[in-house]
Amino acid sequence: MGGKRIVIVGASRLGCELALAARAEDNEVTLIDEHPQQLKSMSFDAPYFYGSGLPASLSDETAVFDNVLSSNELLLECVENEVDVKIGVVAWGAFHNTDNSQHIGTPKVGIVSREGNELLEYDHLVLATGSRDFVPSFKGWELPGVFGGKAGTKLIEAYQCFNGSRCLVLGTTPLAVEFARAAKERGIEIAGFVEPTSEFQSSEADLAWLQLASLPVFYESVILEARGTDKVTSATLIATNGSWALTNLDCDAVCVAIGTLPNIELPAAMGCEMYFDGTVPAWLPKTNANLQTSVGGVFWLSQFGGQTDQVNRILSATDNAASGTGGESTLSSNARESAQYIGLWVSKLNELGGSDVVLCQCETVTRGEFLNLQPPKYLQAGMRHAHDPLTGGDTEPKINQDLVKRMTRVGMGHCQGKRCRDEAALMLAQRFGVPLESIRPASYRFPVRPIDMSLIAAEDDDYHTREKWPHWMHEEVVPESVAGSVEK
Amino acid sequence: MEMNNFDVIIVGSGLLGLSTAYHAQKAGGRVIVVDRGPVAYEASSRATGYLSLRADDPDEAPLATLAEKHWNTLDEELGYPTEWTPKGRLWVAFSDKQVDELREIHKAFQRADDSFELIDADACRKLIPILSKEARAGVYTPRSGHANPQRVSQAYAWAFQDLGGVILENTPVYSVIVESGKVKGVRTNSGEIYADRVVLCAAGYNAKLLEPFGVNFPVASVRLEALVTTPLPHMYDVGFIGLNGLSIRQTKRGNLHANGGPHEWVDVDADREPAKPNTPIVRNLVRRIIEAFPVAAGTQLLRTWAGVLDITRDQKSILHRFENPEGLLAAAGGGHGFGMAPAVGIAMAELTLQGRTDAPIQRLSLDRFGTLSREWKTEKKWNAGEYNT
Repeated sequence: MGGKRIVIVGASRLGCELALAARAEDNEVTLIDEHPQQLKSMSFDAPYFYGSGLPASLSDETAVFDNVLSSNELLLECVENEVDVKIGVVAWGAFHNTDNSQHIGTPKVGIVSREGNELLEYDHLVLATGSRDFVPSFKGWELPGVFGGKAGTKLIEAYQCFNGSRCLVLGTTPLAVEFARAAKERGIEIAGFVEPTSEFQSSEADLAWLQLASLPVFYESVILEARGTDKVTSATLIATNGSWALTNLDCDAVCVAIGTLPNIELPAAMGCEMYFDGTVPAWLPKTNANLQTSVGGVFWLSQFGGQTDQVNRILSATDNAASGTGGESTLSSNARESAQYIGLWVSKLNELGGSDVVLCQCETVTRGEFLNLQPPKYLQAGMRHAHDPLTGGDTEPKINQDLVKRMTRVGMGHCQGKRCRDEAALMLAQRFGVPLESIRPASYRFPVRPIDMSLIAAEDDDYHTREKWPHWMHEEVVPESVAGSVEK
Repeated sequence: MEMNNFDVIIVGSGLLGLSTAYHAQKAGGRVIVVDRGPVAYEASSRATGYLSLRADDPDEAPLATLAEKHWNTLDEELGYPTEWTPKGRLWVAFSDKQVDELREIHKAFQRADDSFELIDADACRKLIPILSKEARAGVYTPRSGHANPQRVSQAYAWAFQDLGGVILENTPVYSVIVESGKVKGVRTNSGEIYADRVVLCAAGYNAKLLEPFGVNFPVASVRLEALVTTPLPHMYDVGFIGLNGLSIRQTKRGNLHANGGPHEWVDVDADREPAKPNTPIVRNLVRRIIEAFPVAAGTQLLRTWAGVLDITRDQKSILHRFENPEGLLAAAGGGHGFGMAPAVGIAMAELTLQGRTDAPIQRLSLDRFGTLSREWKTEKKWNAGEYNT
C-alpha cells in the first residue's frame, strides 16, 4: 500500500503523528509548517497574537531556525524518517476543480517560502492548521507587551526569545496556567491572574500550583486598561461585580489567555462546507467518518470538534488498507465552557471599557464606530441616517459580517481580521441579540497570510500565458458595435 | 410582513436593481427588492469600480453620459460616501504590439467622443508617477473615473430604505406569476409576493426567469479574478487600464486594487450562491502588477477574490419593457453595468411607473436581438466551463 502524495499542513503533534504513520506506510509525505515565522509575518498576529513587542533577537534567523526545529521532537523524527519537512513555509492557498473552476487539473496547494513560491500537487491534503489566540480589545491592547497565551508559550518554548520580566495573565484557563508555568521556569515573574467570574477555570491541580507559588488571582475583575507610552508599564483592573473598584498593578507584559480558536482560513477559503460548533465557538469544516471534508481528498485534523482516533481514521481513507499503526496522543479537549467564557469576557470588556476603545488595530476603528457602521475617518463623510446591519424579513442569516466589514473596514486591514473578526462577530451578536450562528461570517480568501508580492509573482509565466493573456473580453478591444454587429 | 402592499417588485439587489428601486420609490412607487442572498453580494460589490463610458458606442454613449452626470452628485443624492474619484482614465501600452492596439482603441473611441488623447510615456508618468519605464504610450481621457463598488451599492440600498423601500434578503425567486397576460407577482421560497409590475435585475438568472415566456434573453455569466495589495501612500487617481491585460486603481485607503486575466463562463441557479473560487492565475496577475508598477514589488498580496458578472451578447446594456406579459421589465449590464447603474436606474424606474422614459435608451431594448440564434452561447463559446474566448 502507500505510494500516495500526501501533503500535511501544520506540524502540530497531530500533524507530525499523521506524517510518521503515513510515511510508515510508504507514502510520499510532505509536512509544511509556517514556523519559524519571519519577524514581519509575526507582526500580523497570525496564527498567534504576538503583539507589537517582539524581541529584536527574532531577526537572527539561523538561531531561530535551530531553536524552533529542536523544540519539536516529533518534527525531528519526521525529518529522520524521510518526511519532506518544509518549515518556515506558508500554505497560502489550495486549488482543485470545482463549481465554476474546471481548469485546475491535478489538485495542488500553493506554498511560499522566504525564497519564492511553488505549487505542490497532491493526492491527499491534510489540514492540521491548529489553533490561534482569541484576544479581545481593551484600552491599550495595541501597546508592546500585550500578547496572546499561545504566542507567549510559543515564544518561550520554541523561539526562545521573550521580552518582559513581570507579566499579568488574563484568564484562568489551562492555557493561562501553561503559559505561567513556562514563564516562571524562565524566571519571568507573574503579577497575577485576572478572572471575571468568582471561579478558577482550570483544574484543581493548576489552582494548587498557583497557591503553592503564591500567585494571586484577581477574581470578579477584567482589565480596564494597559498603560504605558512606548510599552506596557502597568495595568488597571476593574471589578465586574458592580462596584467598579479599580486595582493598579505594575507589569511590563500582559498575556491574554482567555481562549483559542481553530485556524479555519484554509478550509473555508478552499470552499469546504462549514458548520457552526457553538461550544468552540467557531465554524468548522464538515467531515465524514474518515475526517474527509466536503472537498474530495481533503481532510481536517484538529483538536476542535471533539474527534478521536483521528490519525487512524484519516489513514484508512488515504490508503484503502486497514491501518493498525500510529498511536495518537489524547489531547486535552478545549474547555467545555470556552464559548461562554469568551462571550463573558467580551461582554464585560465592552460594558466596562466603553465604546471608544479601538477594536480594529489595522484601521484604527473603535467599537462604537464599528457598531454604528460608520465610514472610515479618512473619507471625512457621514451617514444621512443611522443604519443597523440586520437583514429584513424572517430569513437567516440575520447579519452579514461582510457588509459590516465593507462599511467600517473592521477586518479589512493588514491582518485581514485575524485579530478582530471573532470579537467583531461576538459584539454584533451581543448588541443585536442575534445568535452567533445566525451571523454569516466574513468570507475567507487566499492568501491566508499576507505575502510579499515579489515572492508570489509567477515565474512560470509561459509563452502561451504571455501571448494569450486575455484582456477583459479580449477579442472585442475594438467592440462589435464598431466593427459591425451581427445582430444589425 | 404584509406582502400585498407593493406596486413594484424588483428581483435582484445588485446595483441595477437597487438603483431602479431607489428611483421608483423616490417617484412615489411602493417598491420591494427581493434577492437570493445578501444585498449586492455578487458582481456589484466585486466590480473593478470604473465608470466605463463606452464612448466608442453610439447606442450606449448617450446613456453613459447621463450616468456620468449623476455620478458627480451621487454622494449628495444618496447621503452616503461612494469614494467617487472623477479623475479620468488612462490606457497604457507596454510593447510595440500593445502600441498598435492602443492606436486602434483611440480610433474607436474617437468615433463617438473627442475627449480621448493619445499621449507619450512621459505624459503617462505625470498621471501615474509609479508607472514602469517600459510604458510606451497611452490614451487618456479626463472624463469619468472610479468609485468603491461596495460603498456605492450600500449607499443605494440605504438611500432606498431611507425612503421607506423594503429589501428582502436570502429569498430566492423561482418564477414570475402571470394571469391573463398580466404580471401578478413572484413566487419565492417563502411564498408569493404580489405587485402588478415586476422588474428583473437578476443578472444571468434573468435568462432563466424569462424562459417560460419564450424570451431569449442574451446574457451570460462569467467568473473573473481580482486582488488587492497592502496600502501604499497616495500615488495616483486616474483609472489605469493596462494593455498588459490588467486594470489597477488605487483606493482611497491606498491599496492597489487590480483585476483582469482569464475568465471562465459559468451557470447560475435560483437558490445557490455561485461559487467564486480563485485559481493560481492570481500569481500571474501579481506579476503583471509588478511589471506595470515596479514599486508594487515592495507591497504584500493581501487578498484575492473572484466575482461572477453578467455580460450581454453585444456587451451593451439591456433595458426592456415587455408588452406581453404586461407589467414585466428586465435590465442587464453589458459587462460594465457598474458605471451605467445611476442612469439605468432612472430609465428603468420611469419605464416601470410611467411606461416610458426620456432617457436615451431607444437602441438598448431587447428588440435588437430579434434574429439572435437560440444557440448564441454555444456559437460564442460562452457556455459554462469554457475559458476566455
